[in-house]
Amino acid sequence: MAKILAVDDSASMRGMVAFTLRGAGHEVTEAEDGQKALDAAGAGKFDLVLADVNMPVMDGITMVKQLRTKADYQGVPILMLTTESDTNKKMEGKAAGATGWLVKPFDPDKLLATVNRVLG
Amino acid sequence: MGGRRATKQGGMVTVSLPADCRIGAQVAVHAELVAAVQASAVALDGTRVERVDTAALQQLWLFARALEKHGGALTWKGASQALEEAAATLGLTTILQLPAQQPA
Amino acid sequence: MGTVDLTQFHQTFFAESMEGLDGMEAALLELDAGSTDHELVHTIFRAAHSIKGGAATFGFADVAAFTHVAESLLEEVRSERRPVTSDLIDLLLRSVDCLRTMLDHTSQGRPAADENSEALRAELAHLVETGTGVAAAAPVAASAPVTVAAAGWKIHFTAHPSLLQTGNDPVRVFHELKQLGELQVLRVFTVDAVPDEFAALDPTQCYLGWELTLSGNVERAAVDGVFEWLDGDCELAIEPLGAPAAAPAPATAAPVALLPPHPVPAAAVNGVSGHAADAGSIRVGIDKVDALINMMGELVITQSMLSDIGANFEPSQLERLREGLQQLERTTRELQESVMRIRMLPIATVFNRFPRMVRDLERKLGKQVKLEMHGEQTELDKTVLEKIGDPMVHLVRNAIDHGLETPDKRRAAGKADTGTLTLDAHHEGGNIIVRISDDGAGLNHAAIVAKAVERGLVSPGHDLNDDEIAELIFQPGFSTSAKATDLSGRGVGMDVVRRNVRDLGGSVSVKSVAGQGSTFTIALPLTLAIIDGLVTTVGNERYIVPLISVVESLRLKPEAVRRIASGNEVFHFRDEYLPIMRLHRAFGCANAVREIERGIVVVVEDEGQRVGILVDELLGQQQAVIKSLEKHYRKVVGVSGATILGDGSVALIVDVGGVVRLGRRSEQAAA
Repeated sequence: MAKILAVDDSASMRGMVAFTLRGAGHEVTEAEDGQKALDAAGAGKFDLVLADVNMPVMDGITMVKQLRTKADYQGVPILMLTTESDTNKKMEGKAAGATGWLVKPFDPDKLLATVNRVLG
Repeated sequence: MGGRRATKQGGMVTVSLPADCRIGAQVAVHAELVAAVQASAVALDGTRVERVDTAALQQLWLFARALEKHGGALTWKGASQALEEAAATLGLTTILQLPAQQPA
Repeated sequence: MGTVDLTQFHQTFFAESMEGLDGMEAALLELDAGSTDHELVHTIFRAAHSIKGGAATFGFADVAAFTHVAESLLEEVRSERRPVTSDLIDLLLRSVDCLRTMLDHTSQGRPAADENSEALRAELAHLVETGTGVAAAAPVAASAPVTVAAAGWKIHFTAHPSLLQTGNDPVRVFHELKQLGELQVLRVFTVDAVPDEFAALDPTQCYLGWELTLSGNVERAAVDGVFEWLDGDCELAIEPLGAPAAAPAPATAAPVALLPPHPVPAAAVNGVSGHAADAGSIRVGIDKVDALINMMGELVITQSMLSDIGANFEPSQLERLREGLQQLERTTRELQESVMRIRMLPIATVFNRFPRMVRDLERKLGKQVKLEMHGEQTELDKTVLEKIGDPMVHLVRNAIDHGLETPDKRRAAGKADTGTLTLDAHHEGGNIIVRISDDGAGLNHAAIVAKAVERGLVSPGHDLNDDEIAELIFQPGFSTSAKATDLSGRGVGMDVVRRNVRDLGGSVSVKSVAGQGSTFTIALPLTLAIIDGLVTTVGNERYIVPLISVVESLRLKPEAVRRIASGNEVFHFRDEYLPIMRLHRAFGCANAVREIERGIVVVVEDEGQRVGILVDELLGQQQAVIKSLEKHYRKVVGVSGATILGDGSVALIVDVGGVVRLGRRSEQAAA
């Protein structure tokens, strides 16, 4: 059981991610943009952050950069939810400090496999 | 924080590693190890370690190296299976002078 | 591992995609040709991107394919490889329309792609392929894996200092390699950058490097896959170990978990099966839900306090009991407000369709219009919101078609070429006021009167003041347009607008100044679900009169009432004679008070028209939760619904508009 922060402006994607992870026994907090995610991350420590790239208010890349400036989030796995065509975004995300990525579209099985991979 | 885990007994400094001994805990562990690095004998207690990562193992190695440079002696008061496995994976078992892995 | 049922997220996906398309449309309309407004372009891109991602995830291949092409095109715009032209904006606007239809069809379980969408997709794809001269970047990445297998691989891997901070951990990476083959650490070393002094070490930085061998029939792509996330955070060299294997083994679909995968609890998999009901849904802000939960908390506290008092009641506790009940009342009211707020959505969802419409009308009519919108965040009940769109569309069309003049006419009148159309929404008392105003020519009073005379709505020579003239345009069948344009003259008149607004419990009126413009004002109730009502008795029955319509209640002396020729009764009230509606007669109530001096006359008003309603007595004010009569019984003239009173009895809610019209009609018939 891990504490996971799921960040996506799309309620359906976020819902799918949260539902799947909760089904696997994880504790999931949802945030709909980067700023809200930072607020949530400041309020509690998460073992894993899953973040969409394109979001209003604050995008995923900026969010990762900011998160990595917090002492609590050095080395905490952060996965970007991105699309295969977004090669640049993957690299931008990495440069910002993301751990890796999960390529959309993904199904619940792939999500769980990837999450288990980083949570070890 | 340091005072809680590092104890000194007859010239031997003991540093206990936390259960979650991953990157997030390493700044605190570093502080304790810095305090112990000049000692003549240091015992590491790794029995409680449940989660451990490269950051921790790297730090232990660099600590062992620094201690040796000052002529200090390193012993282990025990290491959990998780610690032993991770050290073995990174090829650090020997360097860390960990007790040989017990067959499960 | 079972699969999670994703159909439960489909409704949300459709709703947010439609919302995304609205935003995309609004941004496209704001975007000017030649613009490089990064924020706008980004909004547009994000909407397409989001829909693509969701459509692909939920298996809507047609929608995903269409948005994929649109996104590629937008990516070119975003990276400023493609200029924003007005043709491009038009194409994208058509794509928005097309996607709306596709999503509609998909939500109904129909195939999304048709000839139109395919043609449009081809058009987009053609642009992407030819437009910028840069070949379409086919998303390939790892699609052609090197299928060479070796006896194994020799791996040189040196971490960059930042590697650990990104959340990657060589322990995990090596574990993954172990799943592929036999892993041996040949050497582990520290890099030169490692600090000399242990005290100077930053333990979150990585100073390690390894030489590894991975033996076995392992595909290079699999090894690359393990190191994929470390790209840029390490130096990596991978060389084949010994001779390549004779026959490449089938790709090892390596499970990449250290621990056995967490089983998904059966309940999570099977619990939510079947398809999401198509009962319509609302997206609710988390703050609103939080407010509800807070209120629930208070309710629980009050409840436990009251049951505490109840369990050991002594007369001395009467004061505490009263306090508790007061608290209960307050919390219940707050809870009610919070629940109601869940149904409230910003009027922006309606306003947002106007920029597009105004743009289209401008082109069609050769007029120049500046659209200003205020109070988009004003919240309205979802049902009201859904039904107010059409009347507003009609009023906006009218304002542009009939109200605003062409640039040359405006110039001749000494006005700016560009007319201004203002939409404004705000709270006023218990109502939402929506104003649609233009700075056009104003109502043509002479033409209106002439038309009204022609239609027999007023008699020639009848003296009408400005308000009365303005009222005429709401009369059934009235139209002043010289020729019926395809915009506003076709069949639907202002009378329909008024009827639609009335059906929502609202009213519409107009003020106009010749040469300066017109303002249409729509007043709407905050919610359709609850009213503040005056509870009255008529015979054995109770009737609720909406408080918002009540002007005054009074007891009349018999001599104050005059019977006119038709047998109808009127009474003098503030400089006018008002007809009296005897509710017991209108609704056929037994045992009612028949002598006016023994009953109460409630003066009610609807759109400036007043009548007095005769009831037996007033019981007091209370909020009433409206239950539809139509749904449970049938429509009844003069009654807008029913409610259940505290004692469990049913009371009917008086439809004041209907009653006023009834009263006025009988008065006119008598005149």
